Amino acid sequence: MAAISQIIQNGSVAGAAAPRRAAPRRRRWPEPGRLASRILALRWIALALIIVGWFVYYPIIDNFLVSTTNQDIFTGEVMHVGLENYRRLADDPVVLTALWNNTAYALLSILFQVFGAFCLASIVEGLRSSRWRNFWRAVYFVPSAISTTVTGLLFYFIYQPNIGILDGLLTGLGLEQWSRIWLGDESTAIYAIIAMSQWQGFGYSTLLFTIAIQKIPRELYDAARMDGAGPLRQLWNITFPLTREMTGMMIIVTITGAFQVFNEVMVMTGGGPNNSSQVLGTWLYQQGFIQNDMGYAAAIASVVFAVTMLAASAQLWFTRRRRVQA
Amino acid sequence: MKRSFRSMTAIIAAASAMGLGMAAAQTEIADPSAPVEHKGQLVIMTKFGMQRLAPYFQTLAQQYQEMHPGVTIDLIQEDDDSVKGKTKTLVASNSIPDVYFSWTGTWGGNFVRGKRAVDLTPVVGPDSEWGKTFAPAAVDAFVYGGKNYGIPLYLDAKFMGYNKTIFADLGISEPQDLDAMLAACDTIKQAGITPISFGNKEAWPGIHYLGQLLAYNVPREVLERDFDPATAEYSHPGYVAALEQFAQILNRCTIGAGVNGVSYQNAIQDLSDGRSAMYYQEIIEFDNAASAKTKLQPQEFGFFPLPAPKNAAGDPKALEGAPEGYMISTASPNVPLALDFMKFVTSQENAKVLSAPPYGQPSAVVGGSDPAQMSPAVVEGLQSIAEASYLMQWLDTVNHPRVASAWLSGLQAFIGGNLSAEEVVSQVRDAAAAAS
Repeated sequence: MAAISQIIQNGSVAGAAAPRRAAPRRRRWPEPGRLASRILALRWIALALIIVGWFVYYPIIDNFLVSTTNQDIFTGEVMHVGLENYRRLADDPVVLTALWNNTAYALLSILFQVFGAFCLASIVEGLRSSRWRNFWRAVYFVPSAISTTVTGLLFYFIYQPNIGILDGLLTGLGLEQWSRIWLGDESTAIYAIIAMSQWQGFGYSTLLFTIAIQKIPRELYDAARMDGAGPLRQLWNITFPLTREMTGMMIIVTITGAFQVFNEVMVMTGGGPNNSSQVLGTWLYQQGFIQNDMGYAAAIASVVFAVTMLAASAQLWFTRRRRVQA
Repeated sequence: MKRSFRSMTAIIAAASAMGLGMAAAQTEIADPSAPVEHKGQLVIMTKFGMQRLAPYFQTLAQQYQEMHPGVTIDLIQEDDDSVKGKTKTLVASNSIPDVYFSWTGTWGGNFVRGKRAVDLTPVVGPDSEWGKTFAPAAVDAFVYGGKNYGIPLYLDAKFMGYNKTIFADLGISEPQDLDAMLAACDTIKQAGITPISFGNKEAWPGIHYLGQLLAYNVPREVLERDFDPATAEYSHPGYVAALEQFAQILNRCTIGAGVNGVSYQNAIQDLSDGRSAMYYQEIIEFDNAASAKTKLQPQEFGFFPLPAPKNAAGDPKALEGAPEGYMISTASPNVPLALDFMKFVTSQENAKVLSAPPYGQPSAVVGGSDPAQMSPAVVEGLQSIAEASYLMQWLDTVNHPRVASAWLSGLQAFIGGNLSAEEVVSQVRDAAAAAS
């Protein structure tokens, strides 16, 4: 077992060659003819560059420019205010609430949709019967196939204080003291939304982990069993390290998604009560489209961009690391 | 966790970019003698997106297109909530439709301020031929700076709808003051029925209770001064008194803090299904609350204005509500055609269709409601509107958006027990100061 672990930790299995580090080469400018030909070759991707530049990069730059202004959408008047909107961000208590809600969203999603889904995928893939494996995969994936709006409405009725089945169930079990006004209470609203989101996203993550686990050679498990390793030891020493790439990717995607969350909150609470379930996306919408404060909304968008950019950078860094291969 | 947020950011940036590049629109005055050329396209944004209301404009658009084959009408039908965001998105991207829905007060004033609405004084002003076909108060509600900018479509006001059968079974008569209503609530509650179904998940239903209570507790001139952030003080004791009265209604008549987790649509359904005795609703919802398809039959449905507290400092004859209507965009390439379509919509014949079930929207057109075709409750409601000393506009459309937002979130916190009445008023005062 120790040998298998050592092989995995070293990043290769028997027979796989260790990557060779290429010697540094001196950078040479191409000959003029080849340079011209390379520039000419750019014309084939010019249209794509223009489209990407116009629809992806220009809005990012423009968003930052808008964030340095105060705009009246009705009159079209624009007043340049420098970084005043960013100073307002620091003083806005709802922004702090929204940041915390996004962070809680990310942390709980990592717990359930990454580590929980990993454990569940391991259990499902450990089943001997392929029929049962297929059945459970389908069962867990079904919630992901339902639209967020429909799921939001479904959970609104589950949480409803008058006719909701959650409080009804708790009361039926003699646990009345646990019943709450889930979406109407400032202390529980955001967690009720996060719970709904986990229910919906859990199956999709499980399916991705299932695919990652299926790629692990069965010989490793056979060898581990011959060495006397139990299921938990196999999970820790084989499955976990060999799905590390997928786990890392899932964490990054989950964090990015948690800071872009919008639909779930809009459908279930609209950010209420008393802004307690606002996330950056809904507060941005509230400022831009309800309070007509486009400059401030753009400043919030810049914060979201910075956070998701950090997550994306982490993703690039992670994928460039030496991979653990089987 | 979805990608719509990313799209929204791009929309904001793109909308702002387009907005930055555009100069403010020019003032445009409608010309009553301008010839109508019946060809081209009209884009019309309504607030009739609900399933029950949607066929009204669809039918009219179809009829108009059949009458004028050269005209194409594209409808954008939104509901009460979505029309707010949709309108501002279209304004920000300079894509405002030819004809668009508007509330009165600050909401409509924004379009006038931004020169987005055509000055309709020559065609719909009180002295014009078309203007004389409307109730004068309805036309007057869309006056800004002495000029008419809106075409009123229907009248709206808020009443307490109730189940006559439950009231009769429990020996309760229509309450004449707030204390009597609270006592009625106690009786209904003892019978195991929810006295008032109330859903405040959307935040604005609570604001409607408060708006009526403010009209009862704060003098009109003080309210009007405070609606303008530049002159707002929010120092009158009637504000706190109104919030305290609201708390009494909340605690004795509803499920309490739980209302923040209930949608207003569920609340009206509770009245329709006989699970509650009362629901505070707009006159335009009467035919939705009680119809041939609901458990609560139209003959069982009654209503009364939210009872006023005794000896309050405001006006006990005031009624919360306002006409709602449509404006014409200054960017429209075919203003005469847009006006011609709206004249068709507000003809006596079409007005009567609007006032009758299933729509039940009491038309602003004089003679545009036929009591024989309408629900008796809607006919009586119209009479109550006519008798009101003044119409108190909705708090979330008459105020600056920042002040409206403070009222909305503050009242939810008040309901949840997280803010006191004084703290809510203070929060609103701060918002007004920031908006001035």
